[in-house]
Formats: sequence, C-alpha cells, structure tokens
Amino acid sequence: MNKEYVLEKVQDIFRDIFDDETLIIKQETSPNNIEDWDSLAQINLIVAIEKDFDIKFNLEEIQKLRNVGDTLALIFQKINKNENS
Amino acid sequence: MNQYRFDDIVLGMAHSFDVVITEEMVENFINITNDTNPLHSNDSYAKDKGFAGRVAFGMLVASFYSTLAGVYIPGKFSLLHGIDVSFNSPVYISDKLTIFGEVAYMNELYHQIEIKAYITRNKKKISKAKIKVGFHE
Repeated sequence: MNKEYVLEKVQDIFRDIFDDETLIIKQETSPNNIEDWDSLAQINLIVAIEKDFDIKFNLEEIQKLRNVGDTLALIFQKINKNENS
Repeated sequence: MNQYRFDDIVLGMAHSFDVVITEEMVENFINITNDTNPLHSNDSYAKDKGFAGRVAFGMLVASFYSTLAGVYIPGKFSLLHGIDVSFNSPVYISDKLTIFGEVAYMNELYHQIEIKAYITRNKKKISKAKIKVGFHE
C-alpha cells in the first residue's frame, strides 16, 4: 500500500465525515483548521480509519496525534507492521 | 430495560420489539414539533395526494431507533452518537411495526458499537438505519 493511496483513502474518509467533497487535507491539517473537527468527529475519523485499513490504535497512540501528518505516519506504521507480520 | 456495558456486547447480538402507530402518537408529535404539514395532519389532503390516509411522520417512526438503543441494545448506559436513516415506504396510523437491530461492529478504543437496524411492517422493510452508540458510566 503506497503513500498516495493511503492519503487518497484518508482524504475520502475526511470528506465523508465532514460532508465536504471539496475538502483537501494536508500534513498540517488539524482541528484548528476544520471547524467541525470536535470530539465526536475525532471518534468517527478514527473508527473509519480503523475499519478501512483494518488496523487498531490504542489510547496512548491516539492521544499523541496533533494533525493529519501524525495520523498518516501512524497509519503507515500500522500497515507496515501488518504487512511484515 | 437492558443494562449492557460494552464488555457484555458481542457481534451479532440482536433485539427487536413491536409497536403500533396510533393517532395519539401523531398528534403528540405535531404538538411537540409544530410540524403541521397537511400530509400528516389532514386525512382528506393525504388521500387526495394518493396516500391511503394521514402519513405518520418519518421522524416519529425513526424515534423508535432511539428506543432500540436506549432500552434494548445496549439499554440503560446508551449514549447515541449518530443515526443514518432512510424511509423506504409510508407508514400509516394503526400500522404494526417491528423494530429490529443487530450489533454489526464494535470499536474497542472508543467503546462505540454500530447497530444495523431496520423497521418492518408485515415483514417488509419500511425503514433502514445504521446507528452509532457509545456508553456512559
């Protein structure tokens, strides 16, 4: 699974959760840039990412996430772990 | 009322219950929401528009998804996060409906479950929903 594919898939998830087909996410995109990114949206994002990529996060990992870049890095880490196991 | 906590839930767990839509329910809904649309409040208007009679509010029918989560799965500790709902067929006063829900997904991190739900009348689906439910302590 390459980085472009993952980014595209995560962007689709963001567009679905925030109901905005024009939304473009960047590495630095964070709750500061998206008004509707509240605690419930965060739950919906993480749940959708876990389902779509068939990965699991733990609470400690989630609490460290500050922006989209951190989230993408964590997804890659999980995917690589899955592919190498 | 059921009192399931997240750890009591298993995939495929299902519950159902029956309800009959009454004129009083429709009138109460009008009083609460002030939605006085004639399709729901005027029998002759509804018949003139090709319906069998006053159509029960879709949101009145959908309110039983709240009962499904709040009373049956998970019950007492339910905290509704969201519902995607569709209305597939009109519902009328005196219709007997069956509300059914089954746990289709569980998220351990946030203790959120997804319930695949639907409402039937004479075994025909008149509404479908995906319900996201969390838990309160």
